[in-house]
Amino acid sequence: MRVPVLVKVAVFALVVMGAYTYYANSIPQLRSEPPEELSLEGGNVTPEQLVKAGEGIFKGKGTCEVCHRIGQKGTRAPDLGGIGASAAKRKAGTSAKAYLIESLLDPGAHLVEGYPNIMPKVDRPPIGLNRSELWALTAFMESLGGTVDVKLDDIPKTAGSAAGGGQVAELKLPGDPKAGQAVFMGKGGCIACHKAGSVGASPVGPDLSQIAKIQTPEYIMAKILNPAGMGTVAGYPGGVMPATLGQTLTAKEYLDLVAFLLTLKGEGAAPAAKK
Amino acid sequence: MRLQDHPGSSLYALVGCALLGLLLLALPAAAQEAARAPEYRAFPLIGSRLAVWAIAQLHLNFAAFILGVPIFAVIIEIMGWRTGEQRYDWLSHEFVKLTFAAFSTTALLGALLLFLFVGYYPRFWAYMSGIFYPTFSVYAMLFFLETFTVYLWYYGWDWLSGSKKWIHVCLGVLSNLFGTAILFVSNAWVTFMTSPGGIDEAGSLTSLWGAINNYTWMPINIHRLIANVTFGGTIAAAYAAVRFLQAKTDEERARYDWMGYVGNFVAISALMVLPFAGYYLGREIYAFNQTMGITMMGGFMSWLWVVQAILIGILFLGSNYYLWLGMERIPGSERYRRYIPYMIMILAAGFIVWATPRSIPLTPSEARIMGGTHHPVLGVLGVMSAKNTAVNLMILTTFLSYLLYRRANKESVKPWVGTGMAAQWLIFAAAATVVTFYGVYGYFVESIVRIGYSVYQVLAVLGAIALVMAIDIPMFRGARSTGQIRWGTIAPRSQYVLILLAVTFTWLMGLMGFARSGIRQHWHVYGVARDTSVDAWTPALGYAANMITIVTAVFFALVLFIFWLGGLGEKGKAEGHGHVAPAIAGGSDP
Ligand code: HEC
Ligand code: HEC
Ligand code: HEM
Repeated sequence: MRVPVLVKVAVFALVVMGAYTYYANSIPQLRSEPPEELSLEGGNVTPEQLVKAGEGIFKGKGTCEVCHRIGQKGTRAPDLGGIGASAAKRKAGTSAKAYLIESLLDPGAHLVEGYPNIMPKVDRPPIGLNRSELWALTAFMESLGGTVDVKLDDIPKTAGSAAGGGQVAELKLPGDPKAGQAVFMGKGGCIACHKAGSVGASPVGPDLSQIAKIQTPEYIMAKILNPAGMGTVAGYPGGVMPATLGQTLTAKEYLDLVAFLLTLKGEGAAPAAKK
Repeated sequence: MRLQDHPGSSLYALVGCALLGLLLLALPAAAQEAARAPEYRAFPLIGSRLAVWAIAQLHLNFAAFILGVPIFAVIIEIMGWRTGEQRYDWLSHEFVKLTFAAFSTTALLGALLLFLFVGYYPRFWAYMSGIFYPTFSVYAMLFFLETFTVYLWYYGWDWLSGSKKWIHVCLGVLSNLFGTAILFVSNAWVTFMTSPGGIDEAGSLTSLWGAINNYTWMPINIHRLIANVTFGGTIAAAYAAVRFLQAKTDEERARYDWMGYVGNFVAISALMVLPFAGYYLGREIYAFNQTMGITMMGGFMSWLWVVQAILIGILFLGSNYYLWLGMERIPGSERYRRYIPYMIMILAAGFIVWATPRSIPLTPSEARIMGGTHHPVLGVLGVMSAKNTAVNLMILTTFLSYLLYRRANKESVKPWVGTGMAAQWLIFAAAATVVTFYGVYGYFVESIVRIGYSVYQVLAVLGAIALVMAIDIPMFRGARSTGQIRWGTIAPRSQYVLILLAVTFTWLMGLMGFARSGIRQHWHVYGVARDTSVDAWTPALGYAANMITIVTAVFFALVLFIFWLGGLGEKGKAEGHGHVAPAIAGGSDP
C-alpha cells in the first residue's frame, strides 16, 4: 500500500516539531516567579536584621546587582563598596542618609560623574519597592562603611509603589537533586576528590557537605565551570580541580548537579560522615 | 460572481461575521459590568492562561497569513499585468484564493479571543477598554472594509480584467492598506501591554496617541509586517509543495514547482531584512526600560534566543539547500556547483556558533561583562556578538546562493563581465570583513554599544546586496541562455524542505509570541496592571515549547481543513473561475 502524501507530510511535520520541543525541554528550565513582599512596619527589628533584609533586597527583588557591585566596579554602575561613608561627601549639605534615600527615589537628581542617568526610581514599578524595603535597603547601604541610623520615618510617606510588587522575579532552577547526586558520583567524577554529606570521603578537595550554607549558588555554579577563575580555597592545591567540566557535562547534568550541591546544608549528613 | 464555487466557505464566513457583529455590540455593556466583576475567572480544565494563549496564537497565525499573502499577491498581479504574462496572474489569483479561504477563521478566532478576555480577564479587559475604547470601533470598521475589498478583489477577478484590470489592481492595493491599518491598530494594544505610554503614574489615560505610539509600537509594526510576508510565503510554498507531491501530471508538477519556488523566494527575501527590524525592536525595548532589556537578553529569557537562533539557522540552511536542489533542474548550473561546499562550510560554521548551548564554557568575568548576575550560564549567552556575526554571514551566503541560482542558465554577453564579477566578489569580501570586525570588537564593549554595532553589520550586508544587484542586473541583461529551467523535475525531497521551512517559521512565530508576552513577567500591563492571578508565574521554555507545538499542530490541521473545505484540495482541478492554469516554462526570475 502506498502511504498517502498527506500522511507522510503530517508525520514529517510532527517529527520536526517534536525535535524542537525535545530540544527546548532539554535545556535549563527557568521559571520566573512573582516576587514576594517584605513588611517591617510596626514590627520590632534590630539594625542587624534590617541590614540583612536590605542585603536580600539588594541581591533579589531590588535587582541592584544587574548594574551594581560591592567592592568592584559594576557593569553599568559605580562600585557601592564604602558607599555608607562616601555618600556623605557626594553633595554639599546633604547627609549620607539623605543622599542615599535620594539616590534611590530620584537617582537622576545627582549623577555620579561618568555615569549616565539609567538608574530606575526604585520605589516605582517595575522594581517597585515598598517603604519597608526602602528602609532596609538604605540601612544595608549605610552599613557599607557608615553607621546605620535610618528610621522608617526617614523614608517619605509618599514613597513606595501604588502598583506594588517588584520586577525581577526569583529564578527557580528545577534541576533534580537525585539525578545530580548520580552525576556527582558518576560522570562528574567529583567523588574522586570530594566528600558531600553521606557520599564520598576523599580528602583531595574540600568537604562539600555544607557548601550550600557557606557559598552562594552563583559561586558554586561558576566554580564548576571555571575552578581557577574563582580563586583557590585556602589550604588546598590550585589547578587540581578539572577545568573541563563545562565541556563534558550536558546542561541538564550540570543543573542537576548544582541542584544537588544546593541541598548540601550540613544537616542529615552527620551519620555517614561520622564513620 | 460564482459563489456556489465554495458553498462551504461562504456559509462559514456568514456565521463568522454574524457572531462578530453580536460580540462587538455586546462590548460596551460587558466593559461596564467588568468593574463589578471578579478580577479573574477560571477557564475550565486548562485554565484561563492556556486558553487565551492558544487562541491568541492561532488568531495571530491566521491574521499574519491573510495579511502577509496579499502583499506579494498584488505585486505578482502587477507583474503579470505589466508583462502580460498569464502565469503571474494565475499565481496571484491562486494566492488570493488561499487568503480568502482563511479569512473567516481569522475573524472567528478573533471573536473567540475577545470573548475570552471579556469573560475570564474582566478587570484587565476593563482597563484596556478604558484606554483603547475609541480604537475598537476603528478596528471593527477597518475589519469590515478589509473583508469587503478582499471579497471584491477575489470575486471580481474575471469581471475586472482587460481594460478594467487597473481597477482590480487598485482593489488589491486597497486591501493591503486596510490590512496594514488593522495590524497597526491591534499592535497598539499589544505593544501597550509591553511598554505602556500615554498614561500617568496611577495608570489613567493622559493621551490616547501616546498610548498608541508607545515605545515598541512602530518597531513591532515593521517587524510584523515583514514577518507576515515571510510567513505567508512559507505557507503558500508549503501548500504548493503538497500539491506538487500529490500531482499526477508533469504539467501540474511544473506549475506547483514554480509556485513553491516563488513562495520561497518571497519568504527568503523578507527573511533577510527581518534581523534588522529585530535589532530596531530590541533597541527600543532597551530604550523603554533598561531592566526589561536586560531581563530579555541576559536574564531568564536568554535561552530563548538560543532556540530562536537555531530555528533561524535551520531556515537559512533549508532555503539554501532548496536553491541548490533547484539548480539541478537548470542546464548550465554545473559551472557553479563547486561553490556549494564552501557555502555549506560557512553556513555550518554559522550554525555551530549558534547551536552550542548544551555545555557552556564560561568564566565569571564573561558573566560580569554581561551583567547577568542571576545565572552565570545564562550570562554569556547574552553576548550577541558572535551570533550577530554568524547570522550576517549566513545572510550573505544565502544571497550568494540566490545570485548563483539566478545566473545558472545565463552567460553574460557584456564585454565588462570580468570587471563586474571581480567587483562583486570584492563587495562580498568587504561586507564580510566589516561584519567580522564589529563582531569581534563587540566583545569589548557594553551591550548598549554592541546593539549599535549590529546596525553597522546589517547595513554592510544590505548595502552589499544592493550594490551587487546593481551590477548583476545590467550584467545579465540580454544574456545568452544555456537552456530553459525544467520546472517540475526538482527532486521531491526539496518539497519536504519547503514544508520544513513552513513548520519552522510557524513554530518560530509561536516562540516569539511567548517572548513578547514573557518579558512582561508578572504584569498584564508592564509596571501598571499587575497579574495577581494563579498564573502570574512565567513558564519555562519547555512548557512554552509544548504549548507552541500543540498550537502549531492545530494550526496546520485547521489550514488543511479550511483549504479542503474551500475546495482547494480537489485533485487535478487547477482552475478557479474558469482560470485555466498556464503551462509553466522557462525563466529563472520569479
Ligand atoms: C539599570 C541600572 C541600575 C540599577 C538596576 C540600579 N542602579 Fe543604582 N545607579 C546606576 C547608575 C548608572 C548610577 C550612577 C548614576 C547616578 O548617580 O544616577 C547609580 C547610582 C547609585 C547610587 C549612588 C552611588 C554613588 O556613588 O553616589 C546608589 C546609592 C545606588 N545607585 C543604589 C542602587 C540600589 C540600592 C539599587 C537597587 C535597588 C540600584 N542602585 C539599582 C544604575 C543602576
Ligand atoms: C581531581 C580532584 C577534583 C575533582 C575531580 C573535583 N574537584 Fe572540586 N575541588 C578540588 C580541589 C583541590 C578544590 C580546592 C581548590 C580549589 O578551590 O580549586 C576543589 C574545590 C571545589 C569547590 C569549592 C569548595 C569551597 O569550599 O569553596 C566546589 C564547589 C567543587 N570543588 C565542586 C566540585 C564538583 C561539583 C566536582 C564534580 C563535577 C568536582 N569539584 C570535582 C578537586 C577536585
Ligand atoms: C481581518 C481580520 C483580522 C486580522 C487581520 C487581525 C489581526 C490581528 C493581529 C495581527 C493582532 C496582533 C495579535 C498579537 O500580537 O497577539 C490582533 C490582535 C487582536 N485581535 Fe485581531 N484580527 C482580525 C480580526 C479580529 C476580530 C474579528 C476580532 C474580534 C472582534 C479580533 C480581536 C483581536 C483582539 C482582541 C486582539 C488582541 C490580542 C492581544 O492582545 O494579544 N481580531 N489581530
